[in-house]
Amino acid sequence: MKLVHRNLARNGPGSAKLLPEEEDDLWHAYNLIAVGDSLQAVTVRKVLRDSASGGRDAERVKLKLEIVVESVDYDKEGNVLRVRGKNITENDHVKIGQFHTLELELKRPFVLRKEYWDWLALDTIQQACDPTASADLAVILMQEGLAHLFLIGRSITATRSRVETSIPRKHGPAIAGYESALKKFFEHVLQALLKHIDFEVVQCVVIASPGFTKDQFRDYMHLEAARRDLRVIIENKSRIILAHAPSGYKHSLKEVLDTPGVMSLIKDTKAAQEVQALKEFFTMLTNDSARACYGPKHVEVAHERLAIQTLLMTDTLFRNTDIASRRKYVNLVESVKKYGGTVHIFSSMHVSGDQLAQLTGIAAILRFPLPDLEDIEM
Amino acid sequence: QFVPKTDNQSDLEGPHRNAGPWLCSICSQQNDTSCMSCEVCGVLRDLSLYFNNTNEPEGGAKRRNKHSGVSVLARSLFTPSSPKSKAIVFSDGFRGNKNATGHMQASLGTLHKTFMTHKQRHNIVPFKFDIPSPDDMVSIGLKSSRHLRKADTSVPCVDIPGKMVMGDDDLVAEKDTSTDPSSSVKLDELGGNSSSVAANTRNETLILDNELQHLSLERKPKNSKAKIKKPVPVSQYKPEPWMLQGEDQEMPRQLNLAIVGHVDSGKSTLCGRLLHALGRISKKQMHKNEKEAKEKGKGSFAYAWAMDESADERARGITMNVGVAYFDTKNYQVVMLDSPGHKDFVPNMISGVTQADAAVLVVDASLGSFESGMGVNGVGQTKEHSQLIRSFGVENLIVAVNKMDSVEYSAERFNYVKSQLGIFLRSCGYKESAITWVPLSAMENENLVTAASDTRLSSWFHGTCLLEAIDSSAAPHRDVSKPLRLPICDVISSHVLGQVAVCGKVVCGAIRSDSKVLVMPSGELATVKIIERDSSRLSSARAGDNIAIGLQGIDPIHVMSGGVLCHPDYPVSVASSLELKILVLDITVPILPGLQFELHAHHAKVSASLVRIVSLLDQKTGKASARKPRMLTARQAAVVEVRLEREVCVEEFGTLKALGRAFLRSQGSTVAVGVVTRVVQVQG
Repeated sequence: MKLVHRNLARNGPGSAKLLPEEEDDLWHAYNLIAVGDSLQAVTVRKVLRDSASGGRDAERVKLKLEIVVESVDYDKEGNVLRVRGKNITENDHVKIGQFHTLELELKRPFVLRKEYWDWLALDTIQQACDPTASADLAVILMQEGLAHLFLIGRSITATRSRVETSIPRKHGPAIAGYESALKKFFEHVLQALLKHIDFEVVQCVVIASPGFTKDQFRDYMHLEAARRDLRVIIENKSRIILAHAPSGYKHSLKEVLDTPGVMSLIKDTKAAQEVQALKEFFTMLTNDSARACYGPKHVEVAHERLAIQTLLMTDTLFRNTDIASRRKYVNLVESVKKYGGTVHIFSSMHVSGDQLAQLTGIAAILRFPLPDLEDIEM
Repeated sequence: QFVPKTDNQSDLEGPHRNAGPWLCSICSQQNDTSCMSCEVCGVLRDLSLYFNNTNEPEGGAKRRNKHSGVSVLARSLFTPSSPKSKAIVFSDGFRGNKNATGHMQASLGTLHKTFMTHKQRHNIVPFKFDIPSPDDMVSIGLKSSRHLRKADTSVPCVDIPGKMVMGDDDLVAEKDTSTDPSSSVKLDELGGNSSSVAANTRNETLILDNELQHLSLERKPKNSKAKIKKPVPVSQYKPEPWMLQGEDQEMPRQLNLAIVGHVDSGKSTLCGRLLHALGRISKKQMHKNEKEAKEKGKGSFAYAWAMDESADERARGITMNVGVAYFDTKNYQVVMLDSPGHKDFVPNMISGVTQADAAVLVVDASLGSFESGMGVNGVGQTKEHSQLIRSFGVENLIVAVNKMDSVEYSAERFNYVKSQLGIFLRSCGYKESAITWVPLSAMENENLVTAASDTRLSSWFHGTCLLEAIDSSAAPHRDVSKPLRLPICDVISSHVLGQVAVCGKVVCGAIRSDSKVLVMPSGELATVKIIERDSSRLSSARAGDNIAIGLQGIDPIHVMSGGVLCHPDYPVSVASSLELKILVLDITVPILPGLQFELHAHHAKVSASLVRIVSLLDQKTGKASARKPRMLTARQAAVVEVRLEREVCVEEFGTLKALGRAFLRSQGSTVAVGVVTRVVQVQG
């Protein structure tokens, strides 16, 4: 994301002109745009006009509109951000108060005006505009008969492809069927790899699986690359690494990112920090369950007693349509920081964030045990 | 020029090709050269003329030769590849044709004229839109052909209208007809009573017409998506008589025997040894394995290679997938399921071994190996497997203490293993009396199929050998009287079983060939063509049988392992969300809501997440505690709600035990086992 222009006061009103450049940026924009903000962007609208002959003409007009946001919708598959709201600019074609849906796209700037720029919003902008933090990692997570291809960006994990074939068990003479089914499966995965992975963007590719599937696939891939002269694979051989995974399902991505080899590659990225933080939480829960808690109620009580050392939250909580509850969470984060605690805000587009989101979206590691939390109804 | 060589027609055609007045082959009438057919009997003069006209290459001639025994109607209708053979049109075409011929003139000469002049006339029958489209026709082709064949055989002359009409309505068929000299013969034979032929043929076509329309009507409702009938409560199910037949007969019953244990405890070697000792492996095969194993520098793997057939497994020296082998004992036909012991392949083990009735737990007696199987650091697979096997519903366990040779057949070591493992097994819920302990050595063939011969072992051990122990396992309970359920373990295709074949164990009910089954969760119907067990054909199979089934009339994409074949009227329930009663195993990281895990149920595995913990169950009383727990720790029992990523066929545990079990795995180990208490059904 590029910050083109800025005219705002911290904890005050103002506007910012932003230019999204990568897929991740739309996700940041999604987190940035809240209900009640006003958003200006170039858009195309179908305008109906009564023609002289009495009929009606439909015409598509390109115009610049500013709307007051009523709802924001992010499509993670298509990577489109749709913002719906009421028009507030005087215009030939669109009346004030008419509804319009702006579709934010890459390379198209927009101006966001907020009544109140809190630190979280500023933080998001700063993060989005930091070019060094980019870490694009491709992970092929597979098990016999099932493979997923993920692209892990700064703040989103995108499932690019899913390959599933049924592979028979070995059955005496049908063993040939097993071999050919496995070959076919590998071929599908290889095709997905060639189609979705751009080595210009991706730093490295991790092939992860339980057992020997990863080794088998790597051998197959190199063999095919040599046979078919697939330059991309031959040239980037050193950027393809193997890792162990407990299964081929999406949730095993956590464990893959946690393996030492992969961890060192993505050390400074958000995804790695999130995985680490969640792991710490679970370790604490295992070792001393009274020093870890989850759920808004418990966390609130823990905060009242100034017990929070590390706060884990997902960004879904800030995206709350209710402004008061967003304010509440923002204040919570601020005061935890004030009292010397650390805060991790998880992207719900990463696996660890997804897991946290299902665990009510908020959890904390405490400085000292609070065994009586057990007795408070959640 | 075409000269048929193999057909008996060749001698008929010989004279036709002479110049000048030609001799009819049938009535010996001298005809003028200008006549195409015999004036008296109407037999065609020379068929080869028409070959030239129709520009048919020699390929056509060859094809004709090949088919010459088959009637043209049958051929044009039944060859599935000829796209133009619209079976439905010919009845129509025939009617039109009949009008054209008018009074029939009581001579087949006219018939021939229509038949020969088709090239000029070519009255194309308008396509009728109320009849099924050609695409539909292709799909019902098989079905209609079956009916037509019946009609064909009942009236001998039915091929005549076929020829006539085919000539009229489509070019491909018409070529076939004109090139067929047998037609002339047939026509001539029937020449005497041509009117009756006409009447006959007309009736026949009407019948066919009716039949086809009937077929098309019948087909329609099946094309619609809703193939699953409204489920009938299972309690109303009455087993059909054939299912119970032969139930009392004294035939050896099948026993599905799982071989489980820690990695490298010698499961595959034990299986190989057993098979070899029972003569199930040929000398030649064994010799080959031995030689190959030696070449690879893995001499001790020779027996294991009888089970581990894939190149990868052999190269790495470990079992990766469940191997299947068959042998017979006095009481049972044993299906041996050799499971992989490595930690990473536990999912394979679960999906392959859920069908087990009894199990052999192989334990490595040698120093250090037994301890690692028990899991000094982390969970060993001896433990994990025996817990899993117990939750598969296996009550009787044979513990084979293997590699006794490495500890000099020491009674002391055996008793140590027995006491250590015994404590654990009892804690898993095995009864003391249900565990049989057998010390043995697979490599040295001690105490496998015959009593121990080594004095070091026979001096102190007087129990049964492994084979006897297997043979004396309690007979598993079979539920034949319930509607059919067969979880699909494997989808294969072989030239014996056909394109789509499935393997699995009949959990309840029975199945026989030519019966219809419903494939869930796709909800497609299929017909059972072949039932096979250990490469021998069966006509039916009952609960408990481990079989392979060739299916027909279904697309392979609808059949997946993890699905269930069931009775068409009693479909299995399909769930996207479940309520489970779980028992948490020895885990270190507690279970919280939001936990993502793999759920295994029979042969199905699916990614799932824990939505909420409903209640904690008291270990002793089994009563639910009032408070909602924050988390679950090791050895706790609880009721939880899980959401599945994809729908899975399961049944409530109370209804059908085999389909009501679930295994929760996360981060590479089994975290909990449980049973389905409530299925949240999805409306398909």
